[in-house]
Amino acid sequence: MTEDGPAVLVDQLSRSFGDKVAVDRVSFAIDRGEVFGFLGPNGAGKTTTIKMLTTLLPPSSGKATILGHDLATEGRSIRPRIGVVQQQDSFDQGLTVETSMDIYGLIWDVPKAERRRRIEELIDRFGMQEFRKTPTIDLSAGQRRRLQVAREFIHDMDLFFLDEPTVGLDPIVRRSVLDYLKERVKGGLTIFFTTHVLEEAEYLCDRIAVINQGRIVEIDTPENLKRRFGSAKEVEFKLLQGTSKEMAAALATLDGVTHQAQDEGSGVYRVTTSSPESVIPGIYRLAERLNLTVSSIYIAETTLEDAFINLVTDAKHAESNAGEA
Amino acid sequence: MNIYVRLVYRNLRANLDKASLFFELVFPLFFIFVQGPAIGGTGLQLDLGGKIVGYAEYLATGAVTLTVINGGTNAGTQLWFDRKNGMFEQLLMGPFTRAQYILSIILATLIIGVVGSLLVFAFAFPVVGAGIAFTLRGQLLIAAALFLGTVFFGSFAITLSVALRSSETFQVVSTFAFFIFLFTSSVFFPTGSAPLAIQIVSLGNPLTYTTDIFRAGIFDALTPLVSLELLVLGLEAVVMFVLAVVAFRRIRV
Repeated sequence: MTEDGPAVLVDQLSRSFGDKVAVDRVSFAIDRGEVFGFLGPNGAGKTTTIKMLTTLLPPSSGKATILGHDLATEGRSIRPRIGVVQQQDSFDQGLTVETSMDIYGLIWDVPKAERRRRIEELIDRFGMQEFRKTPTIDLSAGQRRRLQVAREFIHDMDLFFLDEPTVGLDPIVRRSVLDYLKERVKGGLTIFFTTHVLEEAEYLCDRIAVINQGRIVEIDTPENLKRRFGSAKEVEFKLLQGTSKEMAAALATLDGVTHQAQDEGSGVYRVTTSSPESVIPGIYRLAERLNLTVSSIYIAETTLEDAFINLVTDAKHAESNAGEA
Repeated sequence: MNIYVRLVYRNLRANLDKASLFFELVFPLFFIFVQGPAIGGTGLQLDLGGKIVGYAEYLATGAVTLTVINGGTNAGTQLWFDRKNGMFEQLLMGPFTRAQYILSIILATLIIGVVGSLLVFAFAFPVVGAGIAFTLRGQLLIAAALFLGTVFFGSFAITLSVALRSSETFQVVSTFAFFIFLFTSSVFFPTGSAPLAIQIVSLGNPLTYTTDIFRAGIFDALTPLVSLELLVLGLEAVVMFVLAVVAFRRIRV
């Protein structure tokens, strides 16, 4: 056992249910204090991976080390040091919000005074004052989700697994939850995070693994994923003089332009390119040569969603091609 | 604080269905104060290993053990609440083992079963009080009957709740099973005088042994059969507990 290595080290981990392979030889490492995103379409194997890493489900094959402990043999040493927010709801139906947090702290053996202090802090931070005395069974889905995330911070942990934790949260609460997570990461917490909201993955994660059909397709930083797998970018610009047939014709001759169009109504030119950094100076040079003035220019940002869709789609194509071969 | 104490406390606070519990405690009172005196009023008396007791006393002691089966059913309900509300997986990812979790349910059930039985017994005291024989042997028999009976029915309810796919089905099946156990046992009548088919079924029915041993303890009415009944009930409780553990380990998460 080592306390210096990565928080999570996964080597060729697989899980099958009968003939169906849910997770297929995945390997990755998560550094301590890192926020690691795990993205994939529905049924890609995200939840099964979390269930294995949290000791709920034994792997069919492969190895993993969690916080220096072997997943297969040291589950009892792992569980006291992790927190988990499952994809599904989890609540004690017979208790109020406040009491359920208190009893959750109790079963984690948090001393009473410390429980009281943390409950007050969390109720405040997660905006649960209004419904702190409400029975959990009467909460809305979003309120229950808030409680589920907040409740985990009653106990100490080194590694936090969150499986789509922001489902049902409004944008303001979602942002405050993400900010709270970021704050805790600064204090040394490691996070394993799955979501379908790619903006929040980009906001929170240091690195992202994309999983599809049980296999990891790519692991990289959000910026690199966008750069490497994002679609071609679109440069939009307008001329002070309105439209110009000469400009439309000249754009087609620019290196790196794969497609160009002009909106007669608004006067906006749209140029599709994979290298806007060389195309934009070219547009200015053309305008100067034609005695025109560029009044505004804008690069439509490549989103993580573009990169994600491209990655998953490419993986599907590769899979079907391999099948046909 | 001990891990079992924490989990049992949580089970009792979070998963007790208070409405059902109230009904489970009140239900036996009808037998003690309505049916028992009504039929007992006919002068019906029964022989318990040489000791003659009125039907009201006979039924009142049966009603106490009825609480054991009620308390046992609560074990299945606790597990179902946790499964339905996602707390089952949540707890298994916490600093506990599956064995600790299932034992905490059995322990919570024991508390519900034993405390419930003692409460009902307190109510039944005016009816059975005159016939009670306070002996150490009797108290040990009472404790054994309540303990083993609760372990059996708690384990039985856990096995059922694992096997059945919805809480509604669990409620229906457990209620049905409850009536089979009840009406093929010696809670309401001496099985020795029942039709042969019921006599045969009652021989495998742990509620028969729970009730017989409890009555033997209350009235100090020992027969040579009580030791054998204790042995059979003990075996049934152990087998059912093992079955519950095996079933529990197979719950798919």
